[in-house]
Amino acid sequence: VETQVVATAEGLRELDRLTFERHDIVAVCRRPQSIAEIAAKLRLHLNVVRVLAEDLRSAGQLSVHVPHAGTAQDASVLRRVIDGLRTIPDSRGALRDSD
Amino acid sequence: MVIAGGFGVGKTTTVGSISEIAPLTTEAAITEVAAGVDDLTHTPHKTTTTVAMDFGTITIDPTLKLYLFGTPGQDRFWFLWDELSNGALGAVVLADTRRLEDCFPAVDFFEHRGIPFAVAVNCFPGSRTFRTQDVSRALDLEAGTPVVLCDARSRESGKEVLIALVEHAGRMHTARMLDSVG
Repeated sequence: VETQVVATAEGLRELDRLTFERHDIVAVCRRPQSIAEIAAKLRLHLNVVRVLAEDLRSAGQLSVHVPHAGTAQDASVLRRVIDGLRTIPDSRGALRDSD
Repeated sequence: MVIAGGFGVGKTTTVGSISEIAPLTTEAAITEVAAGVDDLTHTPHKTTTTVAMDFGTITIDPTLKLYLFGTPGQDRFWFLWDELSNGALGAVVLADTRRLEDCFPAVDFFEHRGIPFAVAVNCFPGSRTFRTQDVSRALDLEAGTPVVLCDARSRESGKEVLIALVEHAGRMHTARMLDSVG
């Protein structure tokens, strides 16, 4: 779900020739996205995006990057996450009551 | 990161209060795994069900992005948790003191897999304030598992919970590293 997907130059060149979901996926991947974000933005099933992304990767139109498994246990990454979280502004607090 | 807990405990609210984007929802198919559980006799043509999963993001820096995934509330979607937890930095188990038992499955799940987690007690208006050590004892948590009182609607509160979780994850990894060399 968190696998990152980005359109290749070839994918963008061929964008106009792609149809339906394939076109939409490549178009939304001009910037790197996770599989989950693509599914949510295009209102597609997670598994549909998975299958199509794999097809598009085989065709050279997308490149797929699986996050490093060890990242979550890397002490320097954890330190960056803590520091990053501390710098998040609080301004948006207490905004939504609905759940 | 995974945000888990019982139904209606405030998972979506938590994701929404801390995420830099409005929470996105996607649907995942329930495949044959659930076929034995779902009673399909009355709907013989229905072979898949969908389950909504919401998530948000926090950009830490240009090369590091956190994803927050809210797990589906029902326990029987455990296999989706399995996938979400694989490679996760850790998990937040949201608890409601009025229905503390609702978070037992989540606590069990993460303890058994050795995934770092913190328990965040969502203090609903009108609910009695509990002491964190009482919650810790009631859930029979392993020593060191953080318990944090929180307000799921507050970003400040969400930040505190996530920081407590990441610090705990760091301590767990250090302890394991020392164990493996000792």
